[in-house]
Amino acid sequence: MKKKMAAAALACVMAVSLAACGGNEQSENDTTSKSETDKETGKEEKKGAEKKTGGVELNVTTTFAGNDTNAQNYKDAAGKWQDDTGNTINDTSATSDETFKARVAADFEVGSEPDVLFYFNGMDSNSFVEAGKVISIDDIRKEYPEYADNMKDELMGASPVDNVNYSVPVNGYWEGMFVNKSVLEEAGVDVPNADTSWDDFMGICQKVKDAGYTPIAASLAQIPHYWFEFTIYNHLAPDTHAVLPEKVDDEHGKAWVAGLEDMKEMYEKGFFPENTLSGTDDETFQSFIDGKAAFLVDGSWKVGGIEEATDDVDNFTVTYVPAKGERKATDIIGGLSSGYYITKKAWDDPDKREAAVSFIEYMTSDEMVSKFALTSATALKDGAKVDEKELSGLGKAGLEMVNNITGISDAVQDQIPTECRVPIFDGMPNIVTGKVKIPDAVTEVLTMIEDYQPEDAKK
Amino acid sequence: MSSNIYKNKKPLIFFLAPAFAFMLIFLYYPFVKNIFNSFCDIRGLGTAARGLNTPWYANYSRMLSDENMRTALINTLIMILVTIVGQVGIALLLAILVDNVKHGAKFFRVVFFFPIVISATALGLLFNLIFLYDKGMINQLLGAMGVGKLTDWKDETHALITMMIPVTWQYVGFYFIILVTGLNNISEELYEAAAIDGATRFQRVRFITLPLLYNVICTCIILAVTGALKVFDLPWVMFPKGIPFGKTWLTGTYMYYQVFNATDVDYSSAISVLIVVLGVILSKAVNKIFKERDY
Amino acid sequence: MKKRRISFGQVAAFLFLSLWALTTIYPIIWVMINSFKDKKIIVSDSFSLPSGAKFSMANYKLAFERLDVLGAYRNSLIISFSVAVVVILLAGMASYALVRYTFRGRDFLNALVIAGMMFPVFATIIPVFQLMSKWGIVNTSDLWKSLLATALPQIAGNMSFAIVVLSGYIKGLPIELEESAYMEGANIFQIFGKVVMPLSKPSFATVGIFSFLWSYNDLFTQSFMLRGNQYGITRLLNELTSREGTNYGLMAAAVTLVVIPILIVYIFLQKYIIKGMTAGAIKG
Repeated sequence: MKKKMAAAALACVMAVSLAACGGNEQSENDTTSKSETDKETGKEEKKGAEKKTGGVELNVTTTFAGNDTNAQNYKDAAGKWQDDTGNTINDTSATSDETFKARVAADFEVGSEPDVLFYFNGMDSNSFVEAGKVISIDDIRKEYPEYADNMKDELMGASPVDNVNYSVPVNGYWEGMFVNKSVLEEAGVDVPNADTSWDDFMGICQKVKDAGYTPIAASLAQIPHYWFEFTIYNHLAPDTHAVLPEKVDDEHGKAWVAGLEDMKEMYEKGFFPENTLSGTDDETFQSFIDGKAAFLVDGSWKVGGIEEATDDVDNFTVTYVPAKGERKATDIIGGLSSGYYITKKAWDDPDKREAAVSFIEYMTSDEMVSKFALTSATALKDGAKVDEKELSGLGKAGLEMVNNITGISDAVQDQIPTECRVPIFDGMPNIVTGKVKIPDAVTEVLTMIEDYQPEDAKK
Repeated sequence: MSSNIYKNKKPLIFFLAPAFAFMLIFLYYPFVKNIFNSFCDIRGLGTAARGLNTPWYANYSRMLSDENMRTALINTLIMILVTIVGQVGIALLLAILVDNVKHGAKFFRVVFFFPIVISATALGLLFNLIFLYDKGMINQLLGAMGVGKLTDWKDETHALITMMIPVTWQYVGFYFIILVTGLNNISEELYEAAAIDGATRFQRVRFITLPLLYNVICTCIILAVTGALKVFDLPWVMFPKGIPFGKTWLTGTYMYYQVFNATDVDYSSAISVLIVVLGVILSKAVNKIFKERDY
Repeated sequence: MKKRRISFGQVAAFLFLSLWALTTIYPIIWVMINSFKDKKIIVSDSFSLPSGAKFSMANYKLAFERLDVLGAYRNSLIISFSVAVVVILLAGMASYALVRYTFRGRDFLNALVIAGMMFPVFATIIPVFQLMSKWGIVNTSDLWKSLLATALPQIAGNMSFAIVVLSGYIKGLPIELEESAYMEGANIFQIFGKVVMPLSKPSFATVGIFSFLWSYNDLFTQSFMLRGNQYGITRLLNELTSREGTNYGLMAAAVTLVVIPILIVYIFLQKYIIKGMTAGAIKG
């Protein structure tokens, strides 16, 4: 037994000494204890009853954390706001993954939700929007008429529940086609641009394949999402794209079937990697970086991803996905998928309400949004002001692309509840190999969506 | 098996209460709720239930007809067998060997522990790189040896094997340690006595080691069975969503998928109930087969 | 054991063991080597040594400067250590009772224990979270409450496994020792404390190391219960490495950082298992 005691004692000593070291390094610990004392002063301030801000502790959760490029921007901005106003932020931001989403949902359920929340404004927010736990922008504007007046209302990302705006967006995303220039050079083709038609594009892919390279880097097993969107888009137009079909043979249903047929054709022509039905997205991305594949359709976040993955950023550029039919190549997919919410919990507390509004207005000013957004889309009425000197060649190409779009549409898949996406996303390998007939797969999805909504859900 | 000491049952409660109290509060009560959940309709993890399913046993009837579920069950059964033979079997072999070599026993004991410690994500990355279609270690070696066409280790014919090898390999160390702990309990004198009587090493193993390890081996097999029913992290990293074509589903990965990808939380609750029931039944069966012997 | 000549059997055994050892050492070394490479070349060039130009401390720099790694270690150690100790104690007691006593309902309790091992953590986490929220120990900025909230479900989660292993072990202990202690006038508690527990040290060490390990690596519970700046080391490193596409370099460094303390603890406890070995060969 003695040895065990010794072991336990040793471990305790280890822990305590680490605690001593840790204590010196943690300035965060100071913030928490500081906020305790601030709470006291906050209480005294309340008695003052004036619209004073200062000494309020705000609970904030965002998705700016970890390795997100904007995590540092967020920390800096939040720090400065705290200094300017004398309030403190109790920050519980975390990288956004499924565990995080579960945590946010659970917090709302038990009543420990934060005061300000920067979160997705699509299906993921349905649970707390439906429960009335966040305040709509219109209601906020009844008290603060100028709230978010630097944003275009129609772009703010209304909730799928009732088509009302609840959140103020910062930066959005776009989807485009990244190009590995050296591969195209070797194959003797030019980089596609806004005038390249779909048929031209098919021809280009064939040439690339003949030269011994993989035309399109994509893992149909893991991430068929992007091509799904664009092939369907090619049979619709910006204002008709983001609408769910009701039947498989209505206008949208037909577009889905036709789009998936195009994907099947591309697969059969061998434009996707050989192991696209079993490889991972990381693998196909790596092959793109290594100069084995020519084209990669992905989102604006990949600009940073490519910059970090290679030393030769100038070998890459981004352009529009070629189009056919009514859609022009310069009609892209994009949107603003997250925004700042104020919870009812904070709203009901006058001091917190004031602080929350002040914080959000600070974080969504034109300046701040431009800093966060860089090359991605925004809802700003005046557009983002970006310092081009800061951007890499790839970044500049992205910016140019975004500045010259003729139309933008949300991704239609964001409207499909996650469980209902299974037959076409997880089932994509079955579709392109013909194991499942395309109209059947589409019908299955539509039926699932119908069953998903209880009859009284749509208001 | 009981002796006079243990006729008086009064201290029993004292010994049992704390542990079971913990389990009651943190395991059983939540799981009962989970069972209830499997009859409701829940969309995302953490959100409230939206009332009962129609009909209330919908998830269970779905399980019967779900092809993926069937694949998962078959694969998991195969996995259980592979685990018993592969993990426990190899671990047993290693443990006995380590017990019998003169040098390096300590070194081996330390080193065999390593795989369990590394996170599944890192291991998944390593194995993905080994089995990579293009420039993966195995294909590179094969190419160097002159094999012409590259094999896709993750295609339909190979996927299952490619998945089982890393998963089996990772936890051998776990059973190894448990077995070694058990081996240490066998007194040296028995071996010496046998040696004096002229028994070969082989015979010593067969007649002393194995029988005395009986109970520990039984424990290991139960752990292996339950482990195979639950395992998901390493298979998931290498074969997310049961690719290719849903051939590599395991009960553990399928349940995880339902919670986090398909967000059909109530269905996953039903699957977890199935897993628990299977686990209890199978371990009872193992216990029956390995009727405990008193040595 | 008294043979002097090296037999063929010995050589064969040694070879086999070494082969297996190679497979177990290689991944750790591979991860550590790659943590010193710049992430761009890890996937394309993963099986080579980082010599000269390839060597880079960038990954570690990134890990250390961004966030408070030492504090996270401390938190993880506190949680995992307490989990291990509590599990050993409580499971030890429960196993002892389950093995030695016969009573009605014993089979039922055993079945319950096995069932408890099967529950996946995401099936139980939400009700547990709601429960602890009522107790007021979750989602607070108080570090200790959050550590407690993380430790409690983990203790329960590891309990079943511990009971199964310990039961198996105690079953194999010769009952004569306890009987002779009883003859000498010891009561149950003394028998447990002075006879059974010391004999079970190796098993305790085994259960302890695994409870420690699983608590340490349990990302899910940590992410749920620890908020904001309260980090466990696994959660911290997960945050650093999750992004669009995997930052392999950072991940390799993260894995190395996570793994080192565990290995130290194991090597430390491992001596225990050996000591237990010599203690186990008791003469009646």
